[in-house]
Amino acid sequence: MIPLYAFLRGDTLGLLVLAEESDTMDVLAAKVQIAASVRVPRSRRAVVVFDGRELSPTTTVAGAGITALDRVDVIGEGAP
Amino acid sequence: MLKRSQWLDGARKLDWSYSYVREEDVFPEATSGRPWLSHAEWADWDEPYRTTFADYVSTQASKEAAVAAVRQAVGGIDDYRKLAASWMNALKLHAATLPLAEFAAVVGNLRAARFGRDSAWRNTATFGALDEIRHTQIPLLLMHELVRWEPQLDWTHRFYHSNNWVAIAARHLVDELLVAADPIELAIATNFVFETGFTNLQFVGLSALAHGVGDRMFETMVSSIQTDEARHSQIGAPVLAKVAKHDREYAQYLVDKWFWRSWHLFSIVTGFAMDYFTPLESRSRSFKEFVEEWVIGQYLQALERLGLKRPWYWDTFLESLEHYHHMVYVSAYTYRATVWFDFVVPSPRERAWLRSKYPRAWEKLAPVWRRIDDRWKEADPSNDFAVHGTAIIGFCDLCQLVLCEGSSDANSAKVALRDGKKFIFCSEPCRWIFEREPERYAGHKDVVKRVLAGEAPANLIALLKRYFGLDYETWGKDAFGGEYPWLTRGDVGETR
Repeated sequence: MIPLYAFLRGDTLGLLVLAEESDTMDVLAAKVQIAASVRVPRSRRAVVVFDGRELSPTTTVAGAGITALDRVDVIGEGAP
Repeated sequence: MLKRSQWLDGARKLDWSYSYVREEDVFPEATSGRPWLSHAEWADWDEPYRTTFADYVSTQASKEAAVAAVRQAVGGIDDYRKLAASWMNALKLHAATLPLAEFAAVVGNLRAARFGRDSAWRNTATFGALDEIRHTQIPLLLMHELVRWEPQLDWTHRFYHSNNWVAIAARHLVDELLVAADPIELAIATNFVFETGFTNLQFVGLSALAHGVGDRMFETMVSSIQTDEARHSQIGAPVLAKVAKHDREYAQYLVDKWFWRSWHLFSIVTGFAMDYFTPLESRSRSFKEFVEEWVIGQYLQALERLGLKRPWYWDTFLESLEHYHHMVYVSAYTYRATVWFDFVVPSPRERAWLRSKYPRAWEKLAPVWRRIDDRWKEADPSNDFAVHGTAIIGFCDLCQLVLCEGSSDANSAKVALRDGKKFIFCSEPCRWIFEREPERYAGHKDVVKRVLAGEAPANLIALLKRYFGLDYETWGKDAFGGEYPWLTRGDVGETR
């Protein structure tokens, strides 16, 4: 498990989310949205931004070069 | 018999030349602070109060009598029962975070009473230590009476002895500010920045709001404390003036560092109390307006008088003033079981008031509160965990608080790599402070790192009970169990 600092656009705080190296960005985005769902409703589509780049939904955590305690941002459809 | 004016300066300015030890050995830099200057440089150190011990005892006795009289008249459980439920949480937040911090200030003042570089400074610091004992004992006594009615008030004493995440953050600040600081850093950080810039918010501003709320006991207690603060805070400016003269860059650094660190504490303790826990009809001004008067106005003038600049991150601070305590409040609302006080959801009228005071922040926060409304509409009353987060929260490696700086569409947290380790900071000023003194901060473990190291449980309920020291009776809840007259169950999606 890889702990990541996750920030969902529209949410008010950073969360720690546990990801697998094999998680795709779609899976990671869903994990972050579920973790923040008490404050921000889930969007049908969301993208992950890492190091200033929007990642493909099928890219994996390992493939994107994301390692423990990195910051990832998730932007849901219709987010501010 | 000599008049007071004839002997006082002879008593308070009692310094002498050392003949069998070196001055550097009497006042080592490690315990006296830097820049190290010979006493000749400090000999003109002065502060305006010039109190004698007899005057001090007499004045304090009068103040004690006044507090005791108000306590006897309106300090009982029945008097507190009459206060607004939301206001009681301002009291719980204040009671936990400040009285035992004042006890740490006894240690800091006693160090200054020995290692301060001029006898008049040491004399005033001695009175400061006596003050801080009083500031610890009064609230401990008042709140102790109330514990049998409200167990959350037991956290007045328990808080700093716990591993609650807020206590970890508060200890990180208080230990450095009051227990570990040398007298020069203490004087600048505590007496100048903290007591001149910020305690007025809590001890004058919030005291005025307490009057409106009808909490005469809190009003009297903090007003009485503030009269002491006003006296011993006078240590700060003359020390800062001396340091600025000899090492301007260091003086500016200490001022900038402690302004930011103090800001985060007060934006939560006072910001929550003023903008959320004070009933709307008793709010004379917003927290931001109090800060504009007490901090931005008076504090900046004090800096200018000493030839110092406003902190380099001033624009970041102004943005933080608009957003930060609101971001923390709504976040903490959804993690309220992790603290020892209750929360309220702002009503539509309160939201309109908050929008008028914080237009830019509220635009972004309104959807989060609407989401919380919807969660309550779908939940049974008092089912707090239906409207509660369960994911682990990230914490800043400097201030140890939640990552809530910036805004909801641009959180300002940054990860930095140092010696192969990753650290995260909620804001640029927190990163800057850490990088100026990494040896001081790098070894500290925040809650996340304790969980990852297996020192604290990852499961929320286990964390609350076994690590934070809370139980069902004391952990925070919605003060009204999610039952608000303006919230109709089932109307999910209704917007206000």
